[in-house]
Amino acid sequence: MIKEENLELKPTSSKIKIITSGLIPFIFLLIMIAYIFGPGSDLLEFGIPLPEITIEKIDFKNSEIQVIVRNTGPVPVEVVMADVNDRIQPAAIEPDRFLERYESALVRIPFEWNEGEPYKIGITTEEGVRFEKEIESAAPALIPDFEFTIFFAIIGTYVGVIPIMIGLLWMPFIRKISKNKYCFFMALTCGLLLFLGIDAIEESFEIASDHLSNSFNSPLLIITTTILSFLGLYYAAEKLTSKADALKISKPIAIGLMISIGIGLHNFGEGLAIGASIGLGSIAFSTFLIVGFTLHNTTEGLAIAAPLSRERKIVGKLVAFGLLAGVPAIFGSWVGGFAFSPIFAVIFLSIGAGAIFQVIVVILKWIHLDGKNNLTSGFVIAGFSTGMLIMYFTSIVI
Amino acid sequence: MTLKLTRSSIMGLILIPIFGVSIVLIFPMISEAQQEQKTFITHTGGVITTTGEIIDPVYVESEMDFDPMDYLRNFNYGKVSQLSDGTNLREFTIVAEDNKVMEVSPGVFYNVWTFNGTVPGPTIRATEGDLVRIHFINNGSKSHTMHFHGIHPAEMDGVFEIVGPGGGQFTYEFKAGPVGVHPYHCHVMPLEEHISHGLYGVFIVDPKEGREKADEMVMVLNGLDTDFDTENNFYAANTIPFYYQHHPIQINTNELIRIYVVNMVEFDPINNFHLHGNLYYYYPTGTDKIPSFYTDMLTLSQTERGIMEFEYSYPGKYLFHAHKVEFSEKGWVGIFLVKDSAKNNDKGGEFGT
Repeated sequence: MIKEENLELKPTSSKIKIITSGLIPFIFLLIMIAYIFGPGSDLLEFGIPLPEITIEKIDFKNSEIQVIVRNTGPVPVEVVMADVNDRIQPAAIEPDRFLERYESALVRIPFEWNEGEPYKIGITTEEGVRFEKEIESAAPALIPDFEFTIFFAIIGTYVGVIPIMIGLLWMPFIRKISKNKYCFFMALTCGLLLFLGIDAIEESFEIASDHLSNSFNSPLLIITTTILSFLGLYYAAEKLTSKADALKISKPIAIGLMISIGIGLHNFGEGLAIGASIGLGSIAFSTFLIVGFTLHNTTEGLAIAAPLSRERKIVGKLVAFGLLAGVPAIFGSWVGGFAFSPIFAVIFLSIGAGAIFQVIVVILKWIHLDGKNNLTSGFVIAGFSTGMLIMYFTSIVI
Repeated sequence: MTLKLTRSSIMGLILIPIFGVSIVLIFPMISEAQQEQKTFITHTGGVITTTGEIIDPVYVESEMDFDPMDYLRNFNYGKVSQLSDGTNLREFTIVAEDNKVMEVSPGVFYNVWTFNGTVPGPTIRATEGDLVRIHFINNGSKSHTMHFHGIHPAEMDGVFEIVGPGGGQFTYEFKAGPVGVHPYHCHVMPLEEHISHGLYGVFIVDPKEGREKADEMVMVLNGLDTDFDTENNFYAANTIPFYYQHHPIQINTNELIRIYVVNMVEFDPINNFHLHGNLYYYYPTGTDKIPSFYTDMLTLSQTERGIMEFEYSYPGKYLFHAHKVEFSEKGWVGIFLVKDSAKNNDKGGEFGT
């Protein structure tokens, strides 16, 4: 009896010891922070913290310019004045003019703006410091009405759904080719995806530098989000493929599903970018642009088709995967066009990039195990390079 | 009993910070609670209904530390005594400071450098030939001087006789002249910095025989570079942007109005003065008795100044502003409210209440 009690107690007490020893450094850390920042401490009272605000978004509404400003500096700020083209204008600010760190507000400036003209919007804080953002060409903000919803759905279908469906039509072709050639196409898929992943990261850096303040530390936000997304999806994919038998789905289908999810996330980001560009008036949407995206995205269909080619009776699944990969472009364009948020866009593009890198790793592993092919075989190298080159050339068409 | 750290719970732990950060960043954008509605009408007739606050230095009246209406007609003649030869001695005490932070436009705070606590400094007024003695005390943290435009000995020029900070003193003494309107300002390097922070004022020398009786006022055309990028953020007549638009200057019909105008704008090469519904006679530097121009539009370079004289025949509201419209849209705009002097005189109570 006594022995049993001891056995039960021992692990508990040792666990308490472990937890305590884990917490002790934190306690010291808290004491140090309290010492530095606590009341009566003047250790850090040197230097002047520079207030900073960022103009994140400018919308041109009916007889009104709407501006979203965010306090991206180290101290609270008070917004006291708005101007258009450096000329002081009366304005309203909602919810109020006091912005805590990272808080944002909507500034509404009644102004009879002219379509197609450039505007500089300035916001002044209580220190008399003026922050400015320039819009190259004023365009009416999109109103989420039925017409635009349909318009974006059509655009999303053109750039997302249709090209992927066309790409899936390569299925019968891939089925009939030899194993080595099949490996070539799998590697080609990896090349395509690698390009897309890098493209997504580049896009998020671009949005971050155009719309986000340095205080978000966007380069590391992008890298961190990408890596976490990669790790998270890698873990999920491992679970999915290891339980593939139990779920009565084959490994290739599990991989195809993961590729579809990855491409879907990517296309959501792409839709976001297209919607935002139309919304911000920075691109004129032309049939040429749609053709470019269509060519570019057809290869995504190939990426989904390749791993599934050895399966039977998969037409239904193929269509489902195609929709899973393509339809997010429609949602993306809605969100981007009607409710663009740079931080949301950056996070989403980074998640998409992580998803794509995860898919690449899974496919490479699969080629290695299933195909008995060395990853340095000529077919793999050639496929990989061709994939990247195809993407590069279709991308410069846009 | 014991918490098992499974792989899925580690996944969950990894995801928590991702969601946490996302929510913190996105939440303020969608958390704008509905509040009381305010209506907001603009000059062009646009109406905005807002749940937030109105930030409008252009049409919304506000009170500042410095009252340009007091300054407008405030002339300092000094402590007058007579010397043995019969000359009038006018003594003034001017204290320079450079630590004051003043609200210059609603909510905008700026470190002004001042003579006797205001920008512009006090208007110093003497008659031609008077002996002007200025006891200058520098209570600032930097060196300052007083440099008068006009005729005086070299050692009274306020350029090489630097007055040190923390109570440094100097006595400027010179004969008032020539007749006219002149600026005075600090002449310590970097000069642009000392001037643009506010160390300037107006010095008027009246002719011995005096001038025709008039409603006299002083307007210093100045600018404020509140973010130190060598471009003015605000312009004004007498420092506070839009002030005389919110508080029209009341004058009477058929009464001579005389404005002593001094352009102290830095950074921009020119400034100008446009009067509505009227023309003025302009006496450059106020040194001559014959006006050089009869106009409603005059361009002034740095420290260029003069006297404007006019009368209104018709009552009503008349704008005056820089016709360099950028300046007027940043505050250099005002209104003369001209009252009918016939009606004013019979005191019928029409305007009395």
